[in-house]
Amino acid sequence: MGRDNFAEKALIFLRTRLCDPSFIFSSFSNSPDSNYSKLKFIVSSSVIEGCNNSILLLGPRGSGKVAVLELVIRDLLLEYPDMITVEIARQLCVENQLLFSKMASFDDNSQFMLAMLRECGLAHKTIIFILDEFDLFAQGKQRLLYSLLDAMQSVSSQAVVIGISCRLDADQLLEKRVRSRFSHRKLLFLPSINEEWHRLLEHILLLPTESTLPPNYVTEFNEKIQVSLNRRNILADVKFKEIITTCTNIDSTVNALLKFLFRAVSNMDLGTGFLSLENFKTALSTMQRQPKLECIKDCSILELYILVCMRRMEIKEQNSYNFNSIMKANYYWFFRLYLHVYEYKSVHDSCQTSDYYAQNVCLRAFEHLLRRELISFADNRGNNQSIEFRPVKLLVSSHELHQALTSTRSSPAILIKLLAGELFSQFGLIYD
Amino acid sequence: MRPLTIRHFPLNLNFEAAATLDDPSFNYQNLARNHRLLIMGKEETPQITRRATRHSSANVSKNETETKASDQPLPPTLNDLFLGEKEKPISLDNVVSSFPGRRVQIIEVMRILGPVNCPMVPLFVYGDSSTGKTSITNQIFRHLNRPFVYSSCLTCYSPRILFESVLNQLLFHRKNAANGYSSAKRCEKPSDFVNLLREALVSVTSSLQGNSDKSSSKKLCRRACGNMIYLIFDNLELVREWDKSSTILPFLFNLHDILKMPEVGLIFISNTSPDTYYTSMGYLEPATVYFPDYTEDDLRQILLLKQENKKLYSSFLDVVLKSFFRITRRVDELSTSFSQLFRKYCEPLNDLGVVPNEEMKRRLFSTLQPHIAPAMNEIFKVSSQTSTEGGATKHKSSSKKSSLEVSDQLDLHMSTSAKYLLISAFLASRNPATLDASLFDSTGGSDNRKRKRKPSEKSLDLKESAEQELMMKGPGTFPLERLLAIFQCITSVAEGSFEEEEQENDGIGVQTGDDSLMSDVLLQLSSLCNANFIVKGGSCPLEGSTRYRSTVSEDMVLKVARSVKFPLSKYLYRR
Repeated sequence: MGRDNFAEKALIFLRTRLCDPSFIFSSFSNSPDSNYSKLKFIVSSSVIEGCNNSILLLGPRGSGKVAVLELVIRDLLLEYPDMITVEIARQLCVENQLLFSKMASFDDNSQFMLAMLRECGLAHKTIIFILDEFDLFAQGKQRLLYSLLDAMQSVSSQAVVIGISCRLDADQLLEKRVRSRFSHRKLLFLPSINEEWHRLLEHILLLPTESTLPPNYVTEFNEKIQVSLNRRNILADVKFKEIITTCTNIDSTVNALLKFLFRAVSNMDLGTGFLSLENFKTALSTMQRQPKLECIKDCSILELYILVCMRRMEIKEQNSYNFNSIMKANYYWFFRLYLHVYEYKSVHDSCQTSDYYAQNVCLRAFEHLLRRELISFADNRGNNQSIEFRPVKLLVSSHELHQALTSTRSSPAILIKLLAGELFSQFGLIYD
Repeated sequence: MRPLTIRHFPLNLNFEAAATLDDPSFNYQNLARNHRLLIMGKEETPQITRRATRHSSANVSKNETETKASDQPLPPTLNDLFLGEKEKPISLDNVVSSFPGRRVQIIEVMRILGPVNCPMVPLFVYGDSSTGKTSITNQIFRHLNRPFVYSSCLTCYSPRILFESVLNQLLFHRKNAANGYSSAKRCEKPSDFVNLLREALVSVTSSLQGNSDKSSSKKLCRRACGNMIYLIFDNLELVREWDKSSTILPFLFNLHDILKMPEVGLIFISNTSPDTYYTSMGYLEPATVYFPDYTEDDLRQILLLKQENKKLYSSFLDVVLKSFFRITRRVDELSTSFSQLFRKYCEPLNDLGVVPNEEMKRRLFSTLQPHIAPAMNEIFKVSSQTSTEGGATKHKSSSKKSSLEVSDQLDLHMSTSAKYLLISAFLASRNPATLDASLFDSTGGSDNRKRKRKPSEKSLDLKESAEQELMMKGPGTFPLERLLAIFQCITSVAEGSFEEEEQENDGIGVQTGDDSLMSDVLLQLSSLCNANFIVKGGSCPLEGSTRYRSTVSEDMVLKVARSVKFPLSKYLYRR
């Protein structure tokens, strides 16, 4: 019972850690050249010297821009408790007109803002404006940005405008009048290098000794992790490194790593209570998904037929085709399928049922494919056309198709050959 | 009112989990009005529990006119967010065994949800329809007995309704006549939603914490339910078609980061894989769990689940499953067609409880065999009578192709003039306009002369490409005047030969040259348009008038022509 209990506690502890960005990024806070230090320096200087400032934080999604910023603000609030008012104008999207009050007009709002800036300037308080998704604020006329930055220049106030965006060219989006009022400071959030990963992993995965968990469990747990992290010449070590590298090769942002670790940690076996290499391996396999491939593998044979036939149309350089032309051009193959599916021994049996119904079933399978988004309509025009007349296109590559066909056991050999184009010569042998 | 049906048939549990129909043509408005949120909470006293059970298990949504004052449901409480309280909680083994072939996925989801009181990253569950995504998620929450808020983007068809539905559930607000069916909070903007949601969540989680403190004394929760609350968004793929999808989607995916509340777990359920969601905005990818389609063995187990005579049904499946499996792998489609086929299979049997031996199997197979192929052809069709045991497993995509179903009962419902109108629309769509004069010329001589000309090599090529073009373009469009002209022509032909029929019908519009009847024809035309047999195309840029297009298939028109004894093939231009 004891072990189970500890293991669960440890699991919850680790998961809480992984979901708490401020903890993750606190590991970066002690190095002098990190973004954390730079940002902190800028903001604190404007607090102390009472000047205006503006800065852009740029980096790919999930690289921890907001997390670092919040860390900075939290720390600064501790240092200068009564000097900062945090005015977070974080509105996710295009609601820039409605930042402050919904009822008042834009003019009233800017008046109010000016007044407030002045007040705060007199009281020696610094206002921090955080504009998340900065690129969206740059849409349209940029009146908001302009009036905000203009107000900062004209009034003796203390304010810091921090824009956050994942577009690296966010400052190029600004109009001239806005750009001239914006000090061109940018902080780039770049992917970390290997050693940092290592430190981050240690920072996250090692349990603290001064917790409610029993110390011998903690030491054992940490030792297990250290083995896979540190000790050389151990197979586990090399493999673990490999796993981490593949993971960071796919997506090198911090959040992607966190997601990976989260999967690994949630795979932890509560019976033994320790993280094992297997956990990381399974987590990696869940990260490396190929949705399209899975989707093709899930198709029924009829649907696979349609996909392969569409592929054949593309090989034949037919640039635009629809359901009807697929059915017509590949009549022979659907006929073969028809015999195959319905298990008719001879052609004569099948001639009794009408072809029309078979086409109906194919059309339904075709709709399935559309819903699965393996194929799509080539254009948005002709919405009132029925499905069989609208031109379609494949959304999967022939490589994916081939890979899926060869890797599923149930797919008939004839399809693979058909895809490879080996059966072209037999085209005439319909009735044999 | 259309009854909502249960989507994942093997478990006939109480999800009214509103709107599990994937049919896009389903009336959203109606659904939204009927929309009943997943309220199945435990009530305090047994007496009330019974009432609540009846109320919530009714398939038809809350209908206030029927609910008398005495039958007023109690105002929802915190307990309504639990699924596992009122009904018997089920064990994990039970969940796994009720979903054959889903063991791996269930465990994976359970792992990501984690033990009590632990935060999670957003979860993204995806897989084709009828692979058990929603039902498994529901059952897992029933098993875990944790509070959750379920909202489907199918019933909540706009951001505002989605936001308000989530908030209503969190604020324990139920729409009724007293509050004029209004929501607890009016909320249209994502930013308002975030603020309101945070407020609501804070109050809920704090009361949850209070509960878990007192749980030992009040016995409110049999097991510790923790202070996590989960928001489930179902049918997320529909959001992509919303007007503001480019902002709503990243917003939903980033909701976890924006809220910054570790007590909130987000679960997205979607039909399509995560790679179909890429937008220009970008977002952090949630943790994904894939529900693959069932394999043949899984399907066999699922289909066997509800059968009384498993031996008999399994011998039936031996015969049919393999070939049907090649056409579709979806449980809902298979079960619909099997339920009828199985009845055919059982027809020769007197006693349904019989255990079939080899000889009997052979006999049964031979009687069934002629029915298999037609059943396969109709695998996606909906028969008019509903099956008894399969419940009202309404078929998706049935209403899409209305012409297929209607064709059989067509004779009953259309007047003669409508039939002629349909035929003339078909002719106008298929025949080139330039040939109208020669085809409908009363002498018809020029037509014959043309046919006799020997086709040259070049004209054959032309013909081929024209054929190609026709296949790509589908039926052509035509202006109203042309339709009416053809209509007049063919009715004048018919008038001569079928006078007696016309008298029978008392001249329903089949009179030419009479201007007073033209309005009737136009009325018929508009009703045909409404029935989607003729669609209005874009207007011609030169003439400015609306153009029409016929959507009916050739087979159907042939049937119609036969019913009015009209020689259609004579007028149809074949290339």
